[in-house]
Amino acid sequence: MKRLKKGILFFLTFFFLLGLCSAAASRITAGCRGCVRGRSRVFAGISAEKKDSLDVIFLGDSESYTSFSPMDLWAQHGIASYNCGQSSQRIQETYYMLKTALQTQSPKLVILETNLMFRDPGLAENVLLTVGEPLRFYFPALRYHNIWKSVFDGPKTDADSFKGFPVHSDIEPYTGAKKYMQPTDSVKKMPAHTYLYMDMIRKLCAKNNASLLLVSTTSPVNYSYPKHNALEAYARRYNIPYFDLNLDDRAGIDWEKDTMDKGDHLNLSGARKVTAVLGSYLMENYSLPDHRGEKKYSDWNTLLEQYQTAADRTENG
Amino acid sequence: MEKLMNILNEIDDSIDFASEERLIDDQLLDSFGVITLVAELEEAFDITIEASEMVPENFNSAAAMWKMVTRLQQEN
Amino acid sequence: MTTFQLILYILIFLPLCLLFYRLTPQKHRWKALLGFSIIFYLMLCRELSLILYLAGAVLITHYIGIWLAWLQSEEQREIRESADSAGKSREKEIRSRYRTRARGVLAFGVLLLLSILAGLKYYNFLIRTLSEILNGAGLSSSLSEIRILLPLGISFYTLQAIGYMADVYWGRIKAEPSLAKTALFLMFFPQIIEGPICRHSDTAEMLYAGKTPERTDFTAGYIRIFWGLFKKLVIADRLALLVSQVFDDYRDYSGVVVAVSAVAYTIQLYMEFSGFIDIVIGSGRLFGIRLPENFRQPFCSQSAAEFWRRWHITLGVWFKSYIFYPVSVSGTVKRWNQYGRKHAGKYLTRLVTSALALFPVWLCNGLWHGDRWSYIFYGMYYFTLIILGTAIEPVRDRVLSACHISADSIWLRSFRILKTWLIIFTGELFFRADGLKAGIHMFRSIFRDFDIGNLWDGTLLNLGMSPADFAAVIAGCIIVAAVGHIREHSGSISTRIAGSSLPLRWGVCYALLFALLLFAAYGDGYQAIDLIYAGF
Repeated sequence: MKRLKKGILFFLTFFFLLGLCSAAASRITAGCRGCVRGRSRVFAGISAEKKDSLDVIFLGDSESYTSFSPMDLWAQHGIASYNCGQSSQRIQETYYMLKTALQTQSPKLVILETNLMFRDPGLAENVLLTVGEPLRFYFPALRYHNIWKSVFDGPKTDADSFKGFPVHSDIEPYTGAKKYMQPTDSVKKMPAHTYLYMDMIRKLCAKNNASLLLVSTTSPVNYSYPKHNALEAYARRYNIPYFDLNLDDRAGIDWEKDTMDKGDHLNLSGARKVTAVLGSYLMENYSLPDHRGEKKYSDWNTLLEQYQTAADRTENG
Repeated sequence: MEKLMNILNEIDDSIDFASEERLIDDQLLDSFGVITLVAELEEAFDITIEASEMVPENFNSAAAMWKMVTRLQQEN
Repeated sequence: MTTFQLILYILIFLPLCLLFYRLTPQKHRWKALLGFSIIFYLMLCRELSLILYLAGAVLITHYIGIWLAWLQSEEQREIRESADSAGKSREKEIRSRYRTRARGVLAFGVLLLLSILAGLKYYNFLIRTLSEILNGAGLSSSLSEIRILLPLGISFYTLQAIGYMADVYWGRIKAEPSLAKTALFLMFFPQIIEGPICRHSDTAEMLYAGKTPERTDFTAGYIRIFWGLFKKLVIADRLALLVSQVFDDYRDYSGVVVAVSAVAYTIQLYMEFSGFIDIVIGSGRLFGIRLPENFRQPFCSQSAAEFWRRWHITLGVWFKSYIFYPVSVSGTVKRWNQYGRKHAGKYLTRLVTSALALFPVWLCNGLWHGDRWSYIFYGMYYFTLIILGTAIEPVRDRVLSACHISADSIWLRSFRILKTWLIIFTGELFFRADGLKAGIHMFRSIFRDFDIGNLWDGTLLNLGMSPADFAAVIAGCIIVAAVGHIREHSGSISTRIAGSSLPLRWGVCYALLFALLLFAAYGDGYQAIDLIYAGF
């Protein structure tokens, strides 16, 4: 009995110390832009945003952060958004990304890029993520443990990321079929754990009074009609709006110059076209406030200038 | 026994063979020393030391070696 | 074993086994250990059928042991029966008759196990070499290489099995009557992957006894396990970044960079191998089982020979017990000894005797590591150095005493340690290089464009490790060296910590745990690294 008590005390102390480390890691992360690298950077990025300043949160994998540019939404409509896309994000990460965002933000709209709903990393990885992600969320010391390295390596400027959107200028044309969305009745199956985590994401949005919108970005490599059917059915079943940019040709994507890797991801020029279409869709369907000119958002204009410069540089050479 | 001590001192006179009891375990006597010793013992006492005798217990002290030598002499 | 599997093993498998073990009555506990070992092996096996090789080895080992024991009892019976009638000469005849038979049985068992091992390990090597020879002669061969999955731990359990059979043959131990117990001795779960290679007299008794572990065993075991993880995850896995970059594209590098990568690989290998052995020994300790040590501060060795008494100790002991000594008392060597002492003088006799007994040891050491010429080169490299060391010993002693330098002076000792480091680093360069040709290329490239300034002009920072990684490795090495220093002078640390006061005990545990959680090479920018020696 005494040994059991001792054992419990050992673990309690352990978690207490881990909590202390986590508090420290969070504070250091918030105060040190660019100190967190790799996949965790996005978590640090969203946590560092000014409290309650964002109205729209983008979630998703690399399809999300190469397609939707918050600075364009700001320039055109004054929408304050942040792109939390993370390369090959798993849906467990998506959920905790949203939870992390909700710690400091109260968005009116959460936009989920749908590509990750079909990703299945396999049982082992799923179990690992299901256990690991909550641990990393509640004990950020685990997520940001490499932060000490910035003492030696120095912070890396994240000037190339504009509210989660990096400027990519490479061009590698897509040479496949232009009409890759051939209507069919077949439906692509989504893995079981997607349903589980989508339930959690929907509930989390509802609890925080945020609308959820599913968006599929233009990508001939990643999308097809069976996927569209699956998403359409899912959206109808749960009464969520779904916007498929693959079936909307207003963007006028030129596959000769708007993709950076043969139709997998869009480059800057492609992203700007797609964002413009999404922007008008948002204006039609949601009433999002225009923050331009507000004092609280003055730094957004500074960032916009930098964005403009970066964009001009890539577009002109 | 005296003959044995002479052989041992000839191999390495810096070791106090009379009192050491961990010659092998403490690596005072290395494996090259052991095989030289085996050859000397075989010649001096007219015995055959076989592979089965090559264990630390037989070489850790002068007394242990003497015990092995007398045993092998009897078996002959 | 991947890092992920390792973590699962430590956090889930071990505690569950331990709990079950404690709940099992003492006399059945060894069965529990065997059960865990089978589950463990099946979980790590890439193909279930590979357990058949292990099962085969267990059966061969066990029944050869029984056969030898039966011969011994028959021999005793015949001697007893003949004692009254014929006398001494008859006894001798019986002994020699049974010896021949027993030797045949042993040879049969050993050859059987070795041919399985050699068949799996060297089949492709032989095919390759054969077709090269045939090609050289202008012929083409129809044999092609096949992909062979090595059964987990085969190189380790085969040696253990051979040792067991030889010990029974020599009468050092009694043959184990229970097949299941033999199986447990050969496949005890933590040690099956990378050793330590145990002798029956080292572990069997403890494995079968099922004694309740002492209180300190638990703490000491887990401290040892976390210490091993620290060495692997904080130091070795960081160095792996640099090592794989340089060794994989070795043609792109020369000078200091190659030299540094040889040092880095040596440290990586040591931290990883000894770290995993720490985990194995710690795991055994949790069950109250003391496995033999495999490393004893190898980097304070003063010669190549001493290095091999401190590095992969159980392999060295195995070679010494089952190759070196048997060869050194074999007929050929003895005949040379007699001849030499009459005609060649003591010095030369001793040198040639040593060489004769040592050559097979190092040939086998090379072959054991795998089917590459570079491993055979590695074995011959150490053979040459160790024989050279013995050869110049008398000369060296004379020079030293002529110059009035004490063998114990700190300068001489430091010099010898540094010299040994150079030997080790060079050896590991060839060991890691992708084949002998690559090894020679890399070794020669060290002397091309050698610019010592590359150490601090930033060249090293383009090799996959950032300044922070170097800082972590250096700090980690300092800690390991400090702990090694204490171990060298006052013995096992984990045992002493486990017996100390609660704040110190817990403090050490927390320090290790948090060092792992915060400074281990995991997460952004790192990849999990598989164990090196499990591949042998």
